[in-house]
Amino acid sequence: MPRLELPELVRGARQSGPLAVRCAGRLMSLVTDEPQRLAELLAMCREWPQPRLVLGLTGSPGSGKSTLTDRLVLEYRTRFPADKIGVIAVDPSSPFTGGALLGDRVRMMQHATDPQVFIRSLASRGRLGGLALGVKGVVRVMGLVGCRVVLIETVGVGQSEVEIAQHADLTAVVLAPGQGDGIQLLKAGLLEVGDLFVINKADRDGAAALQAQLLAMLQRVDLVRHDRSANGVTTQVCHDVTTGPESDPSHARLFLTSAREHLGIAELVDALEARTEVAQERWRTEREEQIEAELQSAVLAEIERRAICTLRTNAAVVERFDRLLGGAEPLAAVVDEVLRRTIGDATSSTK
Amino acid sequence: MFGPRKPRLLIAKPGLDGHDRGAKYVAQVLRDAGFEVIYTGIRRTPEQIVATAIQEDVAGIGLSLLSGAHLLLFRRVIELLHAQGADDIVVFGGGTIPPKDIPLLESLGVAAVFTPGTSAERIVERLDELLCVPA
Ligand SMILES: Nc1nc2c(ncn2[C@@H]2O[C@H](COP(=O)(O)OP(=O)(O)OP(=O)(O)O)[C@@H](O)[C@H]2O)c(=O)[nH]1
Ligand SMILES: [Mg+2]
Repeated sequence: MPRLELPELVRGARQSGPLAVRCAGRLMSLVTDEPQRLAELLAMCREWPQPRLVLGLTGSPGSGKSTLTDRLVLEYRTRFPADKIGVIAVDPSSPFTGGALLGDRVRMMQHATDPQVFIRSLASRGRLGGLALGVKGVVRVMGLVGCRVVLIETVGVGQSEVEIAQHADLTAVVLAPGQGDGIQLLKAGLLEVGDLFVINKADRDGAAALQAQLLAMLQRVDLVRHDRSANGVTTQVCHDVTTGPESDPSHARLFLTSAREHLGIAELVDALEARTEVAQERWRTEREEQIEAELQSAVLAEIERRAICTLRTNAAVVERFDRLLGGAEPLAAVVDEVLRRTIGDATSSTK
Repeated sequence: MFGPRKPRLLIAKPGLDGHDRGAKYVAQVLRDAGFEVIYTGIRRTPEQIVATAIQEDVAGIGLSLLSGAHLLLFRRVIELLHAQGADDIVVFGGGTIPPKDIPLLESLGVAAVFTPGTSAERIVERLDELLCVPA
């Protein structure tokens, strides 16, 4: 395929046929590789179709996120045969080599030849927060090609669970029995971040105990929130913690699934659909606001990239930096020099 | 970490046998050399491999083969890529491929064939060349 620019790729991705998938795939590469392109894309995507739901899945390593994602895709495809669904699977990059082994797809290969399912693996690329730069752009491209739902899987370590919450409309924390006790959950901050909690591997011993423990913890969190709002500190609405489909599914928060046995998946999708029905308008507005924040970080990322380049290659800067190392130069002077030279290089290269 | 980013690759294991030691080893070698490697698992069909490669927009596909059906599988993957307008994706392979078949594979469009015993350095070096990663 010849090197195409953003507008051509956008046009190509909107058509049908094999080339459309290529264009969409290429667009995703552009926005994940180049912050400028991400900014361009975010600026032009407001008119595009958008997914109804962007669901983040996070949680302890090996808890079954990929397998669960695979089953959710199956369930959505069965319920809405005409609709497309997107999956973004993020795995960590090695901080030492920059390389990554992206293996989530292994669990999802049954959908590989389904033209209605678009799966994209991303490496976190050393971003603080563990989520690849450009995830928002990839979500938008999935909207562009007609995905009704987008699922984002990310490892629940580091800060990724906090960041996923900023990229998704809803965040599901996926846990499994035998993967550490409740205190570890609290430490990891997963409780605060989850809109939904899924205890997967319910076919295993210990699922019921984990459920009871989690339920108690969620109730405690709710009580604290409730107290705060009673004191006028916040006005967060607190829902009852419910466990099953028998109550209003848009309020249910705790789910038991066995991705392996395909149990509890339908109930989970019921709840997701109910929530989407209620909240999709609000989510749309929130996504618009996030674009602003995303564009800001794209600007900052580009500034950083250029500044690093100056810091490493500009002779005058390198000289000052060496003096800084020897204690003969204040830091501020080096910063000023970097900024001056970065701008100087930019204006001389555009002329 | 700050060098130019290396391209994304797909490592796939087509065919009926379930031995993926070789495929996983190569995937790890490439990861350690800085590539982003998407691994698909065992027993994948050429259709699945090509559809995956296109969605993932990879620069290269590596096929690990032990089953003896290498000619057929390579040919099919290359045909499918062509049909999808994706001839620019580089195809390479490894496994128990008889040396006499290598020229034939190359004439089909397979860019490199790594036979058992090829060193990790050699694989990385060759892929760096093929995928134009500046040293
Ligand atoms: N018993 C049981 N095993 C499961 C279930 N779901 C997933 N597994 C197994 O758990 C292992 C990990 O599953 P994955 O889906 O790869 O888990 P993950 O959370 O995506 O893993 P990472 O992405 O590596 O963090 C695999 O061996 C699955 O087969 C389940 O419901 N029950
Ligand atoms: Mg996974």
